[in-house]
Amino acid sequence: MEDLTSYPNEAHGGFSAVPELSDEELLGRFADGNAAAARLLTGRLGPRSYSVALRMLGNQAEAEDVTQEAMMRLWKMAPDWVPGQAQISTWLYRVTLNLCLDLRRRKRPDALENVAEPEDESASVVDRMQDTERKDALQAALDQLPDRQRQAVVLRHIEELSNPEIAGIMDISVEAVESLTARGKRSLAALLAGRRDELGYEHG
Amino acid sequence: MNWGTNMADHDKELEHLFAQARDARDVFPDNLAVRIETDAEAVRLARSAHKRRRTWRDRMNVIGGWHGVSGLVAASAAGIWIGFSAPAFLPDPADYFVSQDATYLVADLNLDENYLEDAE
Repeated sequence: MEDLTSYPNEAHGGFSAVPELSDEELLGRFADGNAAAARLLTGRLGPRSYSVALRMLGNQAEAEDVTQEAMMRLWKMAPDWVPGQAQISTWLYRVTLNLCLDLRRRKRPDALENVAEPEDESASVVDRMQDTERKDALQAALDQLPDRQRQAVVLRHIEELSNPEIAGIMDISVEAVESLTARGKRSLAALLAGRRDELGYEHG
Repeated sequence: MNWGTNMADHDKELEHLFAQARDARDVFPDNLAVRIETDAEAVRLARSAHKRRRTWRDRMNVIGGWHGVSGLVAASAAGIWIGFSAPAFLPDPADYFVSQDATYLVADLNLDENYLEDAE
């Protein structure tokens, strides 16, 4: 069995030193029984799943649980992965987003998916935003977006993925991604402006 | 709120918040990394054990799986039993070696009876 333990531990910042091993190669080696490959994949993919989950859920403990479950599914599917079929990161983002949606639905079973975007809901959400003043302003605003808009905005503007990548993850067209991110940004700007007005801040 | 005049400011503020969020991506809880790696090791060990079981199963399949193995064991046991305890209607080859009369053997040597007495 090949030993990968001589490589730096990616979870502690050294993974850029081993760019020659792709995610797919590492997953294949893990499937062959290499424990070091799992450590490298954890350092490379874990933070990406966690970052998305944290922004989708706005709750650290829940984001950790979702990330652990998403990575567990990665470990289990490793032997069945077909090389070249897709990016592993794309697969992981999709699993993470679906787990986040499942969790939110369980917490709010009456929530409707794809609700119509209100024309101007800034006034109605200010009260709720004051309840979450300990959260950062962006997270409080993200929490108010419809699920699909929030997914698109997080993937585009926080994860910095390309529109085609996001389209692959969300299984929609590139045009739909552009539309969702544009509407999401408009909604965020309105929510943030409403909050600032409510708190009496000056613009600019 | 005047959207027409403040839109550029809103965009700028939003971009600033996105940048802050991107910086926060580097924060990955150590305990979460440990939990994930523990899961990976459990899956790896379980898969390794499964592979070992499958290897034995593959070997058994060569001789017909569990049915083949049990048949082979039964046949072997029967052979050993017959070897030690042959049915009455079968000649027992072992008799030729262990149940011959000693006197008969000595007689076969065609020796004089006095020879034995002299030897004592």
